[in-house]
Amino acid sequence: MKELYKDKFTSVEDIQQRFEAAKYICSEQIATCVYIAHNLQKPVMVEGPAGVGKTELAKTTAQILDVPLVRLQCYEGLDESKALYEWKYAKQLLYTQLLKDKLSELLEGATGLEQSMERIHSHDDLFFSETFLEPRPLYKALHEELGCVLLIDEVDKSDPEFEAFLLEVLSEFQVTIPELGTIKAKIKPLVFLTSNNSRELSDALKRRCLHLYVPYPDEKLESRILSSRVPELSDTLRKEVVSFVQQVRELDLKKVPSISETIDWAKTLLLLHSEQLEPGMVKQTLNVLLKFETDIDAMGDHLRTFINKAHKRSGR
Amino acid sequence: MQQTLEDFYKVIRAAGINVSPSDTIETSRTVALVGYTDRNILKNAFQVSLAKSETEQELVAECFEQFFSFDTFSAANDPHSDNKADGSEGADGKEQVKSEQNEAPEAQSELAKMLMEGDTASLATEMKKAAREVGLTDIWFFTQKSLYAQKIMQKMGLRDLQNDIAAMGKGDCPSSIAQAGELRNAKEYLAESVKDFVEQQLSMYGRNATRNLREDHLKSSKLSNIEQRDFHVMHDLVRKMAKRLSTQYSKKKKQDKRGQLDFRKTLRRNVAYDGVMFETYWKTKYIDKPRLLVMCDISGSVQAYARFLLLFLHSLNDVMQRIDSYVFTGNLIPVKDIFEKYPVEQAIDKIMADHGMGGSDYGTTLLDLDDQCMDDIDNKTTVLILGDARNNFLAPRTEVMQTLHLRAKRVIWLNPEPTTFWNAGDSVMYKYRPYCHMAKTCNTLDHLERMLDDLLKAATS
Repeated sequence: MKELYKDKFTSVEDIQQRFEAAKYICSEQIATCVYIAHNLQKPVMVEGPAGVGKTELAKTTAQILDVPLVRLQCYEGLDESKALYEWKYAKQLLYTQLLKDKLSELLEGATGLEQSMERIHSHDDLFFSETFLEPRPLYKALHEELGCVLLIDEVDKSDPEFEAFLLEVLSEFQVTIPELGTIKAKIKPLVFLTSNNSRELSDALKRRCLHLYVPYPDEKLESRILSSRVPELSDTLRKEVVSFVQQVRELDLKKVPSISETIDWAKTLLLLHSEQLEPGMVKQTLNVLLKFETDIDAMGDHLRTFINKAHKRSGR
Repeated sequence: MQQTLEDFYKVIRAAGINVSPSDTIETSRTVALVGYTDRNILKNAFQVSLAKSETEQELVAECFEQFFSFDTFSAANDPHSDNKADGSEGADGKEQVKSEQNEAPEAQSELAKMLMEGDTASLATEMKKAAREVGLTDIWFFTQKSLYAQKIMQKMGLRDLQNDIAAMGKGDCPSSIAQAGELRNAKEYLAESVKDFVEQQLSMYGRNATRNLREDHLKSSKLSNIEQRDFHVMHDLVRKMAKRLSTQYSKKKKQDKRGQLDFRKTLRRNVAYDGVMFETYWKTKYIDKPRLLVMCDISGSVQAYARFLLLFLHSLNDVMQRIDSYVFTGNLIPVKDIFEKYPVEQAIDKIMADHGMGGSDYGTTLLDLDDQCMDDIDNKTTVLILGDARNNFLAPRTEVMQTLHLRAKRVIWLNPEPTTFWNAGDSVMYKYRPYCHMAKTCNTLDHLERMLDDLLKAATS
């Protein structure tokens, strides 16, 4: 098994720069984590609220390393046959029917059970070979020639059984298929697992991973992210938007807006040609930022103060 | 550096984070990769490889700051080093005199020299070296503080220092007497700094030990003897326990008899029947959660226990979904809503204030139960009764217990009184006992945990 990708990260700063070039602004902690994961070939468990860029991190890493991204979305009831491989039953059945004549031809002249068995054996497990194997994401990830980034999304949604099954994949980068034997990765994939903490994951899984927590960004970082993602936005408006969102996050809301919502909102404002935050405009576009009616209601009283503060912040 | 890393793992463990040997190996590799040049990157590296959750990440950061802070000595010694600066000037002046006189004894020991020069950096290094030699990282209890401080001072050469001071103080030369006085002051500063250092180390290494000791004690002491101030610790303990129990038992899954056919498993199962599908195997699974009905006595006689029983009930409510909780003195009162609405202490206070006190009447309560809940009790329900069965000489209504016994999967009675008191006075425990699948004494947390373990095992089997 080859161990490394042809493209390598040389230092933490290197990662930060290259991520920035790919329009993903990452904190030093994220960069350090990716650096370690890449060099020690350890999976990364990324946790954090929805929309802070957990999935995006894996995508960007794949893009920078110039390898394919294999994504496995977890959900309740996900099992091996959907994650790893499945036999093409229909094809197998069809082939046995079609090849019936051939089989009898093959067995022609054989005397006794033993001889017939031997003849069939000499053709080996034809029906349980890779031709009849339907590869699923994990199998694909292990088979990539140049390595890949494997994203196991929302692993906390899967069942404990599946989690246990992942252990072998994550520590040895190999899987065992009863009919085919153990399959090892050609190049160890770089694995990202994301979790929204809807269920406590087992210690065994946590132990095998580096643990990365991505929080909501602070004002400075968010401003940088916004300028890289929505470069058309004017400086003033960007400052106002960031300040406004930061203030909204302080409120006790059902769903606090995260970076993806900030970006969406900035794009919306840009589309509507606004040059600064105005109460009317904000009120109309608030549904981009907040996803619950109760949250929008809760904003009502604070709207004006927040906007005023945002204006002050941008130096108006 | 290996030693330092190992010490750091000790600190992390003391902070309550589980660090396994393989974790330490991986972390050491990580550290070797990122190097020691950038403090922030090193910290991040520790965070990502040692912590397993958000809170643990913060703990690691905190430990890192505490462990890798090098300013302890100089900070503690600031006033001293100022002193020293003046002192050394004075000493310079005196030295000239001394060299003329050429008879005053000089400071001999390394330690004395360092103190005279105010060399805080090497003092700190010496102190850390001494600390390592005496095994300060094994400190875990506050009573060991002065012992370790003394040991460190000895290792750093306290005896020689004292000899020096004595020798210098003896002569007539005023300058050496003055020097001896200065050294004495310096020694005190040193002692103070060492003590501070030991204290700081104790706070890192001994953090968990003291807590564990207290928790162990709390677990085995009688619930009625636990004081109000320990309530928070108890709460954490109980929560931990309830959570462990519930995760252990909520995982069990049962095969459903509907949904999507699992073709592979069905085929495999029916090989014995020549491929004819007699036995089907379905993909859908459901979690078989035990259903629990808990009723808790909060009358005057069990007052001391009631708070903790309620605490336990609340925690169970938090972690288990299918649980109906009731309290009673004379009537059965559902409290699920109160538990859901208020935080634990408020909820308990509210229940105790609204419904507590008064003599218990098990008979009426059982009639209430018969009236309100009997229809919901089926052969999957476990009924848990917490109380002392002191019925104030009222009618016990055992016939309801009989029906309960027949209907429910299990009826379990936990009595805070020891078995010998069960039939004494107004206790009617002996009348109820035949209708319980299990009746046991339960007055410590350990009891409670063991009981619930049994209970859940039975409920899920």
